[in-house]
Amino acid sequence: MIGAVWTHLVKDLRIEWRSKEAINSMLFFALLVVVLFSLAFDPRGAFSREIAGGVLSVATMFASVSALNQAWAREIRHQVLDAQRMAPTAGSDLFLAKVLANFLFVTIVQIALAPVFLVMYNLQVQGKAWQLALVLPLATWALVANGTFFAALSIRSRNRELLLPLILFPIFMPALLAMVVATKDILTGESDPTLWIKLLAGYDIIFTTVSLLLFDVVFHAE
Amino acid sequence: MKKLGIGLYAVVTVALMIWGFYQAIYVAPDDALQGYIFRIIYYHVPSFAAAFTFFSVSFLGSIAFLSFRRSRPEWAQIADAWALAGAEVGVVFCSVGLTTGPLWGRRAWGIWWTWDARLTTTLVLWLIYVSYLLMRRFAAGPQVQTLAAVLGIFGALDVPIVYMANRWWRTQHPAPVFGGAEGSGMKDPAMLAAFGWNMLAWFAWGIFVLILRFNVERKHQQYAEEEAQEALAANI
Amino acid sequence: MDQAQILDHQFVAAAYTITWVIQLGYLAWLGWKWRTEKRNAERRSPGRR
Repeated sequence: MIGAVWTHLVKDLRIEWRSKEAINSMLFFALLVVVLFSLAFDPRGAFSREIAGGVLSVATMFASVSALNQAWAREIRHQVLDAQRMAPTAGSDLFLAKVLANFLFVTIVQIALAPVFLVMYNLQVQGKAWQLALVLPLATWALVANGTFFAALSIRSRNRELLLPLILFPIFMPALLAMVVATKDILTGESDPTLWIKLLAGYDIIFTTVSLLLFDVVFHAE
Repeated sequence: MKKLGIGLYAVVTVALMIWGFYQAIYVAPDDALQGYIFRIIYYHVPSFAAAFTFFSVSFLGSIAFLSFRRSRPEWAQIADAWALAGAEVGVVFCSVGLTTGPLWGRRAWGIWWTWDARLTTTLVLWLIYVSYLLMRRFAAGPQVQTLAAVLGIFGALDVPIVYMANRWWRTQHPAPVFGGAEGSGMKDPAMLAAFGWNMLAWFAWGIFVLILRFNVERKHQQYAEEEAQEALAANI
Repeated sequence: MDQAQILDHQFVAAAYTITWVIQLGYLAWLGWKWRTEKRNAERRSPGRR
């Protein structure tokens, strides 16, 4: 199983490395969002710490949706998806590989955004900065795992680009809330984000498991 | 005979509604702490109880659809009709809860809304099932039912979170009244009676509407099936 | 009755009214859908129920 996941993952990374289409559009989109919010709210000092979590979350979400929309489009071209279905590997292997690849892309975007945040928002972390290294990956995983799953769900819909955010965002909201509040707590140092971190971890486990179980149903539903 | 049964059920439901209203407004006393505004509970809580129940119906329908869609297609269609009916009627009742709640909150707490665990998760629940209904309307193609069933299962995962929210976390929303901590619960028998009658009335109403919605959907399925058959026959 | 009590009464009335508007509105919409489906069924195979 690991072998199959690895093969799919390397394939996706290689394609992306050659074209860089997903990463470029994501980076640009996320940057735009960050700059726009900075313009709109003029964050300084304590206020910037209050809103930075929210801005980062929104930037991540919009950037991810643009990448997710074409996550499966690649597979539909040239009937690649049909070939995948006929391969002897489980559909969930393909799914896990796609989630890992997308997770990597979004994380790269977040790391690229970090200096922009530090500069434009004059961010100084008042709480324990290392906790951010827990919160951000957990929240990103939640977004990417659900997003990849629902992107596959809406592949054949006429209004694919409309449908994906429509069904993804409500389900993602608990994780979004946890991410925003945890980031705010860490940046302002005002309260303990442990509860929200646990919630994110639990959310990730539940929804990743359900996605893995149900992916084959969606995969073969043509 | 069937028409008589339906008519009788409708009359009983209306009677329950009227009796419940009378109990809620004229018989039950004011709450010791909150006063008159507490009476919203007789519509607010039963609405959510019904919503959760019907969302569960939708959940079971989604699972049944996925289980039967290859082995027994006819059963799968019935299951899908329940899934849709449960989701739609659940959204209606959830909407009632989400509008009566802020009206209550505005008077009891001074605020229309807050992002505490109970309110947030409930709003999320409503959004999830609305997106489910929108997906069923906008997605095209022969696999809408399968995909909707998958989405329905995801959405149902939120229901227990909503229910447990004011047990697991300290919230703006009041802690559980029934089955809550020591000292909680309705003590006044007149209040309990009003609550019970309204629960009964709203469940009777909800079940009536649910079955109606189910039957409308079944009719629609049969119509769509016949149209498809005719289109096929015309092409042969 | 003081101002607070009057407002309480109004809000309870509003809550009950909104509930009924939503529920009856949905029932009306359902009734309309029922008639549409019946008419479709009749058009499909006239005479058959």
